[in-house]
Amino acid sequence: MSEKVEVLKSKEMQALEEKMTMLVQTGRIDNLIDLLAVVSDNIEMTTQPMVEKMIGTVDNMATAGFVTENAVRYAKRETDKNEVPSLFGMLKLLKDKDTRKGLAFVLNLTKGIGRQL
Amino acid sequence: MKKKILIVGGGTAGTMTANNLAKKLMPEIDRGDVEITMISNSKYHYYRPGAMYVAFHKSEGHEFVRDQRSLLMPEIEFIVDAAVEINTNRNFVKGQSGKRYEYDFMVLATGCEAAPERIPGLKEGGDWFYTYEGARKLAEKFQTIKNGRVLITVNFPKTPNIPHQCGIAPVETTIMLHDYLKEKGVRENIEIVYTYPTEAQSVHNGLFLQEPTSKVLPAIFDEMDIKHKTGFTLNKVDPAKKVAYSEEGEEMEFDILMSTPPFIASKVIRESGLSKALDGEGWLPTDRKTLKVKGLDNVYTLGDTVDLPVSKAGGTIHNQTDVVADNIASELRYGYPTESYDGLVIAIAQMGLSCGMPLWYDYEEDVQPTPCSKLGSFVRKGFNKGIYWAAARGMI
Ligand SMILES: Cc1cc2nc3c(=O)[nH]c(=O)nc-3n(C[C@H](O)[C@H](O)[C@H](O)COP(=O)(O)OP(=O)(O)OC[C@H]3O[C@@H](n4cnc5c(N)ncnc54)[C@H](O)[C@@H]3O)c2cc1C
Repeated sequence: MSEKVEVLKSKEMQALEEKMTMLVQTGRIDNLIDLLAVVSDNIEMTTQPMVEKMIGTVDNMATAGFVTENAVRYAKRETDKNEVPSLFGMLKLLKDKDTRKGLAFVLNLTKGIGRQL
Repeated sequence: MKKKILIVGGGTAGTMTANNLAKKLMPEIDRGDVEITMISNSKYHYYRPGAMYVAFHKSEGHEFVRDQRSLLMPEIEFIVDAAVEINTNRNFVKGQSGKRYEYDFMVLATGCEAAPERIPGLKEGGDWFYTYEGARKLAEKFQTIKNGRVLITVNFPKTPNIPHQCGIAPVETTIMLHDYLKEKGVRENIEIVYTYPTEAQSVHNGLFLQEPTSKVLPAIFDEMDIKHKTGFTLNKVDPAKKVAYSEEGEEMEFDILMSTPPFIASKVIRESGLSKALDGEGWLPTDRKTLKVKGLDNVYTLGDTVDLPVSKAGGTIHNQTDVVADNIASELRYGYPTESYDGLVIAIAQMGLSCGMPLWYDYEEDVQPTPCSKLGSFVRKGFNKGIYWAAARGMI
């Protein structure tokens, strides 16, 4: 039996083979295999509680970003809308419930920072 | 004159849309030309899919609840009040407080609710994980069961071609149950029987509401020794005898009946006279492209309350919300809507306690089932525990 069996490869497989050959010949394949192994090991070693803690941190940062961005935009709009308040105007601003809520928040924030110092 | 946009319902759909609208219309808001108001009957926002994890003691539930106000941009006026009357002739909604909320544009986003009472005996004899209360009851039962049979049933709305809430949830929870009982070491003594009704939207005698997935499910279930049976449309339950009866004339005993109960639109929508759905189910007639309520030029809707054939899921809303926000913004600016919804749904299904399967489809193409993976499960759980809130805030 000397008949040569021709294996038919799809065009896509041929293209892939050429690229792989290049990677092998240049020695880059070793690094790539190592990289894939690292990715795979990381997935394997990650546990559910780790994911939850990580996401908790991301959520905290997103929340802080949301609150800060909104507050800055809001404050800017209010400042643009109104003239620089007089001393009496300041007191009027202090009477506003949202201002007092925000101020109490800032004071509690400093308290929270203080506790960690 | 200041234009008023009213959003009714502070769930997934209402919250995403309110925030997206505020972002898109910021120049108009800055100039004082537009105001956005949301009314909701709850001070709290519930991430509903979390209930599924509560049913298997994989979450407590409190981590899925937040203050609605904390999820809204400050440009949005938020009022806790239940809508009790919708008057689209005179463009106002009446609240339980007696207050009238007038609008130039309105978004109806009051979701849907489980209605087990629509099947005799189901409320008394069955369980469901679609509410936190129901999920907690189920968790207790799953915790104590040592042997017997868990029967899974699924009911669809009577109105044709409308899905129940979150189409993939019955499959997800069936596989989660298998994993959970295995984890507890009692799986061999408990039979799991997954049933599906004869008619499931366009699928006849299948195991899922889309053909390709319906075809691969038997092999998946067989591998886990989960019994499966189509042609079982639950229509009566005997709570004392613990027997479920089907429209097709069969009966099946159970120890726990984990059901997907009938779903209906919220009361205010059902009673609004806007819907033509069968059995007073209340689904809003929705233009599949513009997402306007049919026949009303200034009322939009999205989420679980629509009568579209697409999944009633957050992964649907995430794609609908920009269409609604863009269309309202365009109408205000140019006088006509500019965007069109293509039916796109993107989600990651929880196929067992630690395997996630990404899925996507639209009006034209069904889901192509792909293998689930550990990484997929991490992404899904990451979404549940944190990324969802960023999505609701319109940050992603
Ligand atoms: C167990 C379970 C698992 C799920 N799994 C997934 C999943 O894996 N992937 C996915 O994408 N989706 C999933 N979903 C579906 C998803 O949670 C819903 O599609 C989504 O929450 C619907 O959003 P909505 O805004 O239309 O309704 P809801 O989120 O229900 O919001 C409706 C809002 O309207 C308010 N309201 C009701 N009546 C009134 C009234 N009269 N006046 C004022 N306000 C009112 C309510 O308080 C609520 O805030 C799941 C759902 C459940 C229950």
